[in-house]
Formats: sequence, structure tokens, C-alpha cells
Amino acid sequence: MSGGKLDALVDAVEDRLGLISSWEGFRDRLVHGGVRLRHVFPALITYLFVQQAVLGVVLATYYSPSATDAWASTAYIQDQVSMGWFVRGLHYHGTSVFIIVLGLWLGQMVLHRAYKAPREVTWWAAIGMLGIGLALGLTGNPLPWDQAGYWGILVELSITEQAPGGGMIRTLIQGGSDAGNLSILRLYALHVFVLPAVFGLLLWLVSRQRAQHGLPAPDGMSDAEAHKTTQRYFPAQAFLDVLAMAAVAGIIVALTMHDHGAELLGPADPTENFQARPEWYFLFLYKLRMFFEGPLEPVATMVIPGAAVTFLVVAPFVDKIGGKFGRALVLGGMAVLMTGTVGLTIYGVQSDAADEEFQKSLAATEKSATEARAYAKAGVVPLGGPAVFFNDPEYQTKMLYKEHCQGCHSLDGQGGDEGPSLEDYSSRAWVSDLVRNANDDRFFGHTKMKDEMDPYPEEDLPAEQFEPLIEYLMQLQGDPGVVIDEALAKKGAELWEDELECNSCHEVEAGEEADGPNLHGHGSQAWVARVIRDSSAGDLFGDYAAMPKFADKLSDEEIHALAAFVVKQRGLEPAELTDAAAAPEAEGDDAAGDDAAADDETPEAEAAPAEAEGEAAVPADGEAPAEGEPPVEGADAVAEGEAAAAEGEPAPEAADADAAGEPADAAPEPAAKPKPKRKPKPKPAKPKADRQNGRVVYGKKCKSCHGGTGKGDTKFGKKNNISPLSGGSRASIKKAIVNGVPGTKMKSYAKKLTAQEIDDVTAFVKSL
Amino acid sequence: MAQGEDNGGAAGSRRGFLTVGFGAVSVGLAGAALGPAAAMIAHPLGTATTSGADTFVPVGGRTSFSEDPVKVDIFADRVDAWNRVIQVKVGSAWVLAQGDELVAFSTVCPHLGCGIDYVADKKKFLCACHNSWFSIEGGVETGPSPRAMDTLETKVEENLVQIRYQKFKQGIEGKEPIA
Repeated sequence: MSGGKLDALVDAVEDRLGLISSWEGFRDRLVHGGVRLRHVFPALITYLFVQQAVLGVVLATYYSPSATDAWASTAYIQDQVSMGWFVRGLHYHGTSVFIIVLGLWLGQMVLHRAYKAPREVTWWAAIGMLGIGLALGLTGNPLPWDQAGYWGILVELSITEQAPGGGMIRTLIQGGSDAGNLSILRLYALHVFVLPAVFGLLLWLVSRQRAQHGLPAPDGMSDAEAHKTTQRYFPAQAFLDVLAMAAVAGIIVALTMHDHGAELLGPADPTENFQARPEWYFLFLYKLRMFFEGPLEPVATMVIPGAAVTFLVVAPFVDKIGGKFGRALVLGGMAVLMTGTVGLTIYGVQSDAADEEFQKSLAATEKSATEARAYAKAGVVPLGGPAVFFNDPEYQTKMLYKEHCQGCHSLDGQGGDEGPSLEDYSSRAWVSDLVRNANDDRFFGHTKMKDEMDPYPEEDLPAEQFEPLIEYLMQLQGDPGVVIDEALAKKGAELWEDELECNSCHEVEAGEEADGPNLHGHGSQAWVARVIRDSSAGDLFGDYAAMPKFADKLSDEEIHALAAFVVKQRGLEPAELTDAAAAPEAEGDDAAGDDAAADDETPEAEAAPAEAEGEAAVPADGEAPAEGEPPVEGADAVAEGEAAAAEGEPAPEAADADAAGEPADAAPEPAAKPKPKRKPKPKPAKPKADRQNGRVVYGKKCKSCHGGTGKGDTKFGKKNNISPLSGGSRASIKKAIVNGVPGTKMKSYAKKLTAQEIDDVTAFVKSL
Repeated sequence: MAQGEDNGGAAGSRRGFLTVGFGAVSVGLAGAALGPAAAMIAHPLGTATTSGADTFVPVGGRTSFSEDPVKVDIFADRVDAWNRVIQVKVGSAWVLAQGDELVAFSTVCPHLGCGIDYVADKKKFLCACHNSWFSIEGGVETGPSPRAMDTLETKVEENLVQIRYQKFKQGIEGKEPIA
């Protein structure tokens, strides 16, 4: 395009739009009294407003204003979008700087009397801008719908409610009686459309005044001198303006870098005790409220702020009253206002910094925020921000627990009492209480075990025996997280071996079976996992087991996660799920460090149920896919198990029980059945007493009280005045074993020994 | 601060400096905000914002497919920017046996992406949007489609048919997956 044609085009455009003359008008505005730093404020305000608007539009290309998506989309901006954190940070800190700049501008106008006629409109516009700026903060901060934003707006709305008609205003802003989708959309609409439009209008007013009157000469300068020193706006003042903008931009960028964008806490959670604090620019109001408690609160929230605003609005007129009096009044009032605001803000920051409780809760909040944002990277299920915690493996385990365990076990005050409470499960206190009375509802009171273990109150088991015993029991758990008094535990072990009757029902060597559960590693993660798999194993609860076998219903990972969940209830550090769960048969030894020690204890015991499960699981897996069940969707082991059962698979329980060497008649709902007999081993048609076996059984069941030779010369025997066993008839011995002896500690062994064993023991005792 | 109107040589160069300075700082300021803003807007150019179904997804037992095409829906977890949606339909495929081999055709037409249907009485596929006819082997017979129907990777494990669902660029002769 030739020069002539270009000029013609420029002229044509200029003729139609007047762009050049409008620029020239802007460029040639008068700066009375010369270029000054004090004149930079309108330019700064314009710059910040335009920048906020541009950044806001960019943020709007990612942000989604709904209760389900607001937090997740903000986390996406902050943590995933290229430069998203930076843009969000500029926008956030831009507001803070905006408010400071507006405050300084108001101060400058008072100081230089720049508000005097004819520039009152500029002054009022600036007051309005400060109000809009605060309102932009108020409506913008809740938009991420994080804890700070959510709680902040709730408190602010509650304050609004105190004003006359405030209830209605709250409902209107909130879009209903509770905060949610409509609240976010209303705040969003105000923040994005309404408030910026009003701000633009105010900015236009300032610009009009400037076009009309130029920038004011310093107060008190003579007209002649002002005229002499008057300059055009461009380029000197314009250059100064952009330098000021650059300085402000530098501050905003520095703040953004320092905070890596802007803070984003965890998703809004109405159930959490979040300690709401307003943004720093409302902190002075927040602190002011502290001085006016109860019915006086509106003084702080309405009266004082209202008075301050009124004072500002009329300041240009007050300034003119009675010579220097009005001027002094304005300066004094402004000084009070500024020092009050700044002072209260500093006081607020300092008292929060010194408030230990607040700092503690802040730290907790920040920790949960970090967690939430890490999970959010996998995407948030569109149920709203808090659903991000569905990604937490612990949460998924908790859901499993609720589904499968809570019906019978109680925890945190919820759940059934069919089985023992898992509150603080297997902790020292739990074990102690159990030994004192295992028949309590908290333990086995509603199970088939009820009354199988006698209560051991203080008089039967005094502290000097009880304490070593408990220590020994805790040592048996084998968890490195449990601190053991070795000497005390050793004493307990000796008592166990020689004096107490516990070992008549409980074994402590891995794998050995007895009447009560084997206590080797009891309460450990591996033990709990075994119980979940199949509590009816011979060395666990045997025939007393009523808990469903979960070996077929849950995956190894799920069982171990549940076991970890259970041991965590008493503050123990569970072993890594993958260690034990991935390959129970092999990995136990490699498992990292002491975490896995609990698993290492019982590698042999671990293998049996795992094999059993393997057998049952294979056909189930083979069948389910044919149904078109996509394994990708988290291969719901429960669903598969059920599907397999419904299709007439061999009942998984039965398959499992066979493999584990258990009676195959274990019914799916054993609770409904009468107490089964002890180990229905095949009985010979004509039982013949085996005295040798009787000696073995005696050693296990009787010796701890009656002593090796039946003289009752054990500590327990002496204490309870047990009479020697010798001299009784075969019938009386058998009767005592079968029925127990009323009035003594000798209880019935009818359910604990088979008929054969009773005959054997009878034969052995007879021989004493 | 300097005062008075700018006139003459020294003042002229000062004016020039101020003008250039004004321009430079203004550009810097605009860049400081617009640069990151542009990076943010351009984010989807360099980073996937959606994902899902890029692994094999089971669609049914081997025995449920024969020479007659069966339409299967492919379900997968899908990540859509900040959302993770569990087990939603991400696409569908026509599955049929060709001899002993199992073939899966994407239902997305290679022309402009409409859904391809199967016309059983003609034993042909048809994309009704722009009248593209495909043979039962997937080849173009008539109509505007630039290439044959897109096959999807399949595998059969333990009688379970699995499909790896992909989308391909439309309107070109070659079959190019959309990353």
C-alpha cells in the first residue's frame, strides 16, 4: 500500500471514528502546576482495573461456577493449567493492591485538598471505587468454594443479616436459605458483570472530570504560577504513570511468586470447624466487632462503618467550614480513620499469629488442603469438591468397612454389637477390659463365645498378676509400635506358663489349635486380616466363629486395607498394603523395615487361608467376565463373589472350608445354629479311653490349675483351695469334667472337649 | 520534576526518551499480564485435558459374537479437565467375526464423525449423515468417506473380548489416532 493510499485510509477512519483526535485530547490534557507523583493514582487504578478484567476473563475460560465444580476447577487452574497459578495469583493479589492504592488515593486527595470544587465528583467516585473494590473482594473470594471462601461468605452474610431487612438481603445474595449453586452463581454474576460495570462507570466519571479540568495544581499555588508551570499530560506525566504502574506490577508479581499464586484450601466442608478469617482488608472490621459484643455488634458492623463513609462523602464540604476549623476536622477525621484501620489490621494479624489454637487449626487446614489438591490431580468425581476425598484409599477402605463390618462391629459410636467393638481395638486398655470381662457387650457378649471365658475380676486376678499378664499379652501381639516393659512381660510369661489358667484355652505358639483363639500375634494386622478372611480357622475362633468369611468376598488388597484400618484405630502404623496383600506367600520377608514385622510373625499361618482363597477365587473370576463385567471398573470383588454364587458355583464357603481343613458343614449363617460341638472328629464306634492322650489333654487343659500330679499345688490351686484329684471314681471324675463342679472354679468341659478326650482325661486322672 | 513545555533540541530528546520509555514500559506491563494469560489459554495445545479408555476394555464373552455385527458400548473412567467420571460411555464399536478372527469397527464415520449404523438386510454398514456405504468388511463402497471404517485393536483373553477404543482424525485418507 502506498503512502498516499495509507494516508487516505487513515483519514477515512479518522473521519468516521475520530480515534486520533480522541488520543490527542487525552495526550494534551492539562497537568496544572506540572508533573507530580501524586497524579499517578487515576492511571494506577485504570491499569489495575483493566488488568483484573483481562485476567478475570482468562480465568473464566477455566473456572466453573457451581457448587460441584467450583473448587475442582479452581484446583485445576492452580495446579494443572500452564501458568494458571500465576494468572490466578495476579488476579488475587491484584485485588489487595487495588484496595491499598484506592486507600492511598483517598488519603492523597485529602492531604492535597484535591477534592475541592470542581473535583468532588472524582472524590466521590474514588470512595465508590473503594466500595466496589471491597465488594469485588467479597464476591470474588468465595468463588473457589474452598474452606476460606465458603466460611468467609457465610460469616459475611450473617453480618448482613443483622442489618434491617438483612434476612431478605441474605436470602437474595445466597439465592435461598442455604449456600450452594445459586450462591456461587449470584456472587459470580456480581463479581464478573455487575460490579465491574459499576466500577467502569465510576472510572468514566473520573476521566470526564480530568478531560474537563485537567489535573489539579498543588493546593495554595497561585493561578499565575500554576498557569506558568502547566504541562501536557504526555509524555512526562504519562511516563511517570507507567513507572508507577510498573512498580505496582512488580509488587503484585512478587506477591504472586511468593505465594505460588494464591492460597487454595480444601473444598468447602460444612461439617468442619474451620476458623473463618476474612481477607486482610476486612480484618479491621472483624477486629472492630470484638470490641462490641452481643447486642452492640451492629455498632461495629453498621454504625461505625456507616459513619465513616458519611464522613468521607461530606469531607469536601466540611473542609470549607469556618476557616481552618473544617480543614482540621477533615484531617483529624481522616487520621483517626487511617490509624484505626491500619491499627486494627495490624492488631488482627498479630493476635492471629499469637493465637496457638488458630495456628494449630490453620496448620491442620493447610495439611488437608495439600492432601485434597494432590488427590484432585486424578480428577474429582462430579459430586462437588469434597468428593475429592473419594480418591483417598483410606476413604475407600472406610466405605468397605461401612459396607461389610459396621453391621456387627462398633466404631466411633456407630455400628452393631454382634461382634467385639473395634474402638481402640486390641489396645492395652481394650485387652485389659476384655480379660476382666470378655462377656461384656463390648467384647463377646453377643457372640457364641459368651460365657466361654470367665470374667477375671480384681479378686481373682490381682494387679500383681494382672499387670504382668497384660504386658505379656501385649508382647504376644508382636507389633513394634507397642512399647513393652520386657521384665514385666517376662514375669507375665512365667505366670502364663506356670500359674494362670489361661493356657488351658489359649495357645501362644503360632498355628497350634486350642479351645480359645491362639494368641500369637493377636490383634496384629496380619491376625486381623486372617480373622477377616476366615475367623473359623482352628487356631482362631474355630467353631465359635460367627463372622462371615470374607476371603471370597473381598480382594487381598481390600482385606489388608481393612486390617490396616482396624489397627490404625489404636494409633498403630499399619504395614504397607502392597507388602502383605500383593503376595502373602512370598513377600513377607522382603517387606520394608519394622512396619512389616507384624506380618513376618506369622508367615506360615498366613499361607493357609491364602491358598484356600485361591481355590475359591479362580472359578469365580472365570465366570464373572463372561457376564461382561468389565474388570476395569475396579473389579468389584463383592459383585463378582455374589455373581458367582448366584450362578450356582460351588458355595465358596464350602470350598474354602475344605481347603482349610475345617468342617464342611459350616453354615452360611452360623449364628442361627445351636452351638456346634467341638471338632466333630470321626468317632470310633466303641470309644476306648487312651490314657496317653489323656495325659496330653490334661497338660493342656487341667495342669495349669490342678498341677502336674493333680495335687492342686499350683498358685491358682492353692488360692482357690483345689482339692487333690486322686481317689475319685471314674464316674465322679467324668461328671466333674462334663458338668463342672458348682461353687468352684471348675467349669464344664462338655463343649470344650470331645467325648473321646473326656474319656481319655478321665482315664488319666483315674490313674493319678 | 521538569516543568514547562518541551521545546528545542535537549527538550526534544528528553521528550523522545519519555515517549520511548512510556511505550517500552507499557509494552512490558501488557506483556507481564498477557504472556501468562496467553500461556493459560494455549494450555490445551500442549496438554491433554481429557483422557480415558486408552487401555483394553472388556466388552463381552467371545461366544456372544458371530458373523452378524453386534454394537457394543465401551465404558471407561473418563477424566474431563478437573472431573473424573466413573464408567461412562466413551464410544461404541461394531464387533463381528471374520472367520476365526474377531474384528471391531469404530462406529465413528471417517468422513465427518457421524455414527455408522448396520443395515442387516443388506449386510452393509451405512453412515446416514452423508450416505456413506461400507461393506461388511468395512471397505468404502459408495459415498464421501475418504477411507474404510476404522478398526479398533481387539484381543481375546480367557474367552473375554476386549477392545482398545481410539478416535481417529476425520476427513483424511490415512488412519491417524487423535492423541
